[in-house]
Amino acid sequence: MTAIPHNEMKPMKQKDIRADRLFNVFIGIMVAVVLLITLYPIYLVIICSFSEPALVTSGQVTLYPRGLTLVGYNAVFQNRELIHSFFNSVVYTVVGTVLSLVVTMGAAFTLSRKFPGKKLISFVFAFTMFFNGGLIPTFLTIRDVGLYDKPWVCILMGCVSVWNVMLARTYITSTIPEALYEAADLDGASQIQYFFRIVVPLSGTIIAVLSVYYGVAKWNDYWTGLIYIQTRSFLPLQTILKEILASLEASRELLMSMVSDTAQQDAELLNRAQIAKYCIIVVSTAPAVVLYLCMQKFFVKGVMIGSIKG
Amino acid sequence: MAVQQVHKKPMTVSSRFRKLGHGIFQNRWLYLLILPALVYLIIFNYLPMYGVQIAFKDYKAVRGIVGSPWTSMNGFKHFITFFQAYYFGRLIGNTLLLNVLGLLFSFPLPIFLAIVVNNIRGQRLKKFTQTAIYVPHFISTVVLAGILYILLSPTNGIINHLIVALGGKSIYFMNEAAWFRPVYIISGIWQNAGWDSILYIAALAGVDPELYEAATIDGANKWQKVRYIDLPHIIPTATMMLILNSGSLLSSSTQKALLLQTGGNLATSDIIGTYVYTMGLGSGQFSYTAAIGLFVNVVNFILVLSTNKISAKMNGETLF
Repeated sequence: MTAIPHNEMKPMKQKDIRADRLFNVFIGIMVAVVLLITLYPIYLVIICSFSEPALVTSGQVTLYPRGLTLVGYNAVFQNRELIHSFFNSVVYTVVGTVLSLVVTMGAAFTLSRKFPGKKLISFVFAFTMFFNGGLIPTFLTIRDVGLYDKPWVCILMGCVSVWNVMLARTYITSTIPEALYEAADLDGASQIQYFFRIVVPLSGTIIAVLSVYYGVAKWNDYWTGLIYIQTRSFLPLQTILKEILASLEASRELLMSMVSDTAQQDAELLNRAQIAKYCIIVVSTAPAVVLYLCMQKFFVKGVMIGSIKG
Repeated sequence: MAVQQVHKKPMTVSSRFRKLGHGIFQNRWLYLLILPALVYLIIFNYLPMYGVQIAFKDYKAVRGIVGSPWTSMNGFKHFITFFQAYYFGRLIGNTLLLNVLGLLFSFPLPIFLAIVVNNIRGQRLKKFTQTAIYVPHFISTVVLAGILYILLSPTNGIINHLIVALGGKSIYFMNEAAWFRPVYIISGIWQNAGWDSILYIAALAGVDPELYEAATIDGANKWQKVRYIDLPHIIPTATMMLILNSGSLLSSSTQKALLLQTGGNLATSDIIGTYVYTMGLGSGQFSYTAAIGLFVNVVNFILVLSTNKISAKMNGETLF
């Protein structure tokens, strides 16, 4: 709208000015409420993880940490199984994400080009979004191909998300001009050279977004470990966490691993086990949230691309 | 670079094949690049679909998926057993109720959030709020369940401390059937409302600023701008999301339900997905639970296709 002389605007009525003020106040209050509801539980877990166990379990830690202590973290870092599974998860996540990125970008690039059989291959991809074999047939198949109870299953499961392939394909077709391909073709570049020298370097944003999607999904996956892994030393962190955190009798598990400290009273030990849960939550969630916060600036653009239909 | 062949004569069968072969050769790198993904889909998606046949068989471990004998009733024995089982109604009811209530309560909030975020005036506060409301989405389901068990504990959870301090009686949230759905749905809203608002925030970002200016000139206040500019811009996206979401009403969100399931809340937390998990992998009833899974998948397939059709009719565009 090109400049309109000020005096041509209708002067706002007193009522409307008041309505606008009321609106701003309303938005302000809503923002405060939303932020409080979103962040307070996270904040509470963090301050409890640093506080005196007895004060936490009696509900006296609400606004700031009290009786600063690291006993909970000590217990966590002494739990060898937990630390071991943490490193398992690091390996699964790093290797799995890199593999996913390579496979996804390759498939996305191919689907952005024209070639004989494209329709058939696109259908093979899309159909998996509508229909799957279900838990039991998948389980039996994985067992039959010899992946059951192998660490590889934790890396390979979920390696390709068709949804992410479509996202990356949309990104490639909408941001990399066709003229670049024609120029590279004239210069005698093969398709694979074009992919590695032009497409990949120009796809930084979508690669960042995909690495968060794949990385967080892998890091947070407890299901694969639960279904396909039997050997405890192969288990990823989240599957171990399921035993420690997510059941009614959970605190006893941890208790057992902490009896190294024999001089403690039972009640004290129970409190400690309780506090250690807060610490485990912080330690296990930090990597995913930090990854997101680091890559956060790519999201606005990546999300906009995602909302464009391909 | 291979030389492009020029066909002037009408193509014979053999020359058509040669042309196809040439096209394939020319694009050999493209096939190579898509091959790994294709192999993945074949092993992890299509082989299991082939394995679905055990739903019509009596699975014997030694004879494998293909070698196991077909069941009676033309292979439909397991399906009929399921339809006639006394828990059939409970499983379907629990699954549907959980999903319908979940959709009903969690659907409007992302829209509201998007409008709030869109109307924050300070750019830094806007950015901070946007970043903050996405954070819960990155917390794992296991950790979310863990937080719930801790905060809702009847003896030392903060919520019950508060209830007792206010003169109430401590509630065993995680072990009472009446509380399973509220806990499941509210925690789901906490975790995903922010993330789900992204789509609507993107829709609002696409609103032409001239519309707001024109509205200001016409003397509209901010409430009216939300009512007459923001909402109409969100409604198409919202309708599509509502339709598409209702396509998955029977697909149970097993992973979270399993974590929140306890002995005390089975009456409401026993859904199809958790039942298939417990009976299939826990008790080894592979064929029977595969049949249940297949039944659900077929219903979902039909639902998704039809909702997609409806969405196509209404908006002239489909998601896929």
